[in-house]
Amino acid sequence: MKKPRLILREQPLAGGQPAAFGVGLLIALIVGILLLYGAGHEPFKVYSRMFDASLGDADAWAKTLNRAVPLGLAGLAVAIAGSMGLWNIGAEGQIMAGAIAAAWVARIGENLPGPILISGMLLAGVVGGGVLALGPALAKAKLGVNEIITTLMLNEVAIRLVQWLIHGPWKDPDSFNFPLAPMLPDQGRLPFLFSRAHLGLILAILSIVIAAVAVRYTAWGYELRIAGSSESTARYSGISLSKKILTVLLLSGAIAGFAGSIELAGTADRLTETLSNGYGFAGIIVAALALMRPSGVAAVALLFGAVQIGGQSIQTMGVSSSVSTILQAFILFGAIGAGVLSRYSIRLDNNSTTQQESES
Amino acid sequence: MNEASLIGLFVAMVSFGALLYLAALGELIAEKAGILNLGVEGMMAIGAVTAFIAGAELNNPWIALLIAMIAGAILATVHGLFTVGLGAEQVVSGLALTILGLGLAAYLGKDYVGRTPGAELVPVDWGALSDLPWVGPILFTQAPLVYIAILFGVTAAFVLGKTRVGLALRAAGESASSADSAGHSVFKVRLAAVAVGGALAGASGAYLTLTLTPQWAEGLTAGRGWIAVALVIFGAWRPGRVGLGALLFGGTLALKTRLQTFGVDFSPIILSMLPYILTLLILVLISIQARKRPSPSPAGLGLAYRREER
Repeated sequence: MKKPRLILREQPLAGGQPAAFGVGLLIALIVGILLLYGAGHEPFKVYSRMFDASLGDADAWAKTLNRAVPLGLAGLAVAIAGSMGLWNIGAEGQIMAGAIAAAWVARIGENLPGPILISGMLLAGVVGGGVLALGPALAKAKLGVNEIITTLMLNEVAIRLVQWLIHGPWKDPDSFNFPLAPMLPDQGRLPFLFSRAHLGLILAILSIVIAAVAVRYTAWGYELRIAGSSESTARYSGISLSKKILTVLLLSGAIAGFAGSIELAGTADRLTETLSNGYGFAGIIVAALALMRPSGVAAVALLFGAVQIGGQSIQTMGVSSSVSTILQAFILFGAIGAGVLSRYSIRLDNNSTTQQESES
Repeated sequence: MNEASLIGLFVAMVSFGALLYLAALGELIAEKAGILNLGVEGMMAIGAVTAFIAGAELNNPWIALLIAMIAGAILATVHGLFTVGLGAEQVVSGLALTILGLGLAAYLGKDYVGRTPGAELVPVDWGALSDLPWVGPILFTQAPLVYIAILFGVTAAFVLGKTRVGLALRAAGESASSADSAGHSVFKVRLAAVAVGGALAGASGAYLTLTLTPQWAEGLTAGRGWIAVALVIFGAWRPGRVGLGALLFGGTLALKTRLQTFGVDFSPIILSMLPYILTLLILVLISIQARKRPSPSPAGLGLAYRREER
């Protein structure tokens, strides 16, 4: 009986990951055509609207870039942890924690001049995200507690903390009893670069460049990658794993918190319970598609930003925005599939036991 | 606080407990086989929407439940094929499954938002039993899925603990290479466990739209899939303990809407953080204990198994 088997290639195919990414995109586009057609829409009209709304002109680019900022920073947060083999599933909550901290600074410093207030808010965001990551970081470093679950649980806690704040202590007295936090003071908003693209873009690009250089070219990054590839090698070369775990998870949380404060000061005008909007989870997918490399995160985040903004725009055509959600999942599954296949070759074996025997 | 409202609380506790238990049991089975599936929320949403649609179109709640379970299993199989077949990262694939499930559910259910249900699973009539004091209303006025959840729990405990199938499944989760050497197909065992897990998550979703809510709206699952993931850890991967945990966490869900009627001045939002915080504490506790005795977590959980890398 002929059975297909996956055989690991000695050399991965050149350009495997970008190609896999392209395949994922292609699969998603085809699935999208089927979904749109099935719902009685004209797929290519919808696609062209998506393209125009996300990349068609300067305003569209501004929206896409503003969306790519939290996606890219969340992706970076996940990728930094990921380059050491750690999973930060808590970016969603850390974004919220960063936003809470930044909103708090805006509350107590509402009369400060803009540059000082904004710097304070961004700094608070970094601290807030770090604080939420502190528990999981300590638990992992000192006790070996699985960080996947701890960071995941804290998402739900952070989102409820925001709900509690805006239903209770931080409820705007002028909101006619709606659970809304007050608006940020005007000088606490990030300035626009062009159209409505805000300063967060530059902050995100800077963060990604610094992280990419740090991971690739510094001793710190080298140790990080060693620790990620093999625990025992890291130990033999004298790297303190528990210290490394602690700093990396804290840094990861801080970056996500930074994203939260940027999102608050740049896009949202007040703290809301939907502020993190799935960016933390999408960031995991962004980082996975970028193979946990900071340098790849920017490109993937830009694409996801465009897909999300395009997806929003087609609601006016009566198309469910869920189509863009589905597209994002298919990009990932398509790319994972293609990515794995690019590292393997498929062979048809006549006898499924030959492989096993030749190895033993 | 009077007797009737206290009984009402316990009725809701058991009801919500069963909702969480179905999904958590599914996750437990997958994790016991070594596959972490963070797609519970998505599978629940798919179960909820397909049950509602099938109910509306076919007017038979049992067929609707069956379809929801099949839909959950199919979605889970996507995760299974990617993680078991291709060795993809379980965390990433699971989260993508949540996104896919929520997206698909919104897409499929678009025309059904706000519609009246075509079929419901209404409480079972136990006759005189339901007149017993306390026990009667709490245990014998529940909807069928509550009893089904208990039945599934007992079955899972038996199959996992006492049968060859359960042994193969646990072996695949503890040490895939040993399971393979013992002649079990790790691929088939893991794939089957993930699919069964998806079917149970689908049943949990169906419970929402066939009994609890019974309506379809986007976001209906409201993070309960994550509670299910937490429950598996809280219950230390044991069907019985997970069941007790489900009652406890179900109790917090039930209490959430009742705090005011009980005259307790405590934020229901803060209360809803409790399951997650308890799970965090338990996790830390398990890790401290793990220095003295083995961790209850399956040793091979989250690890891909590639035969040629054995």
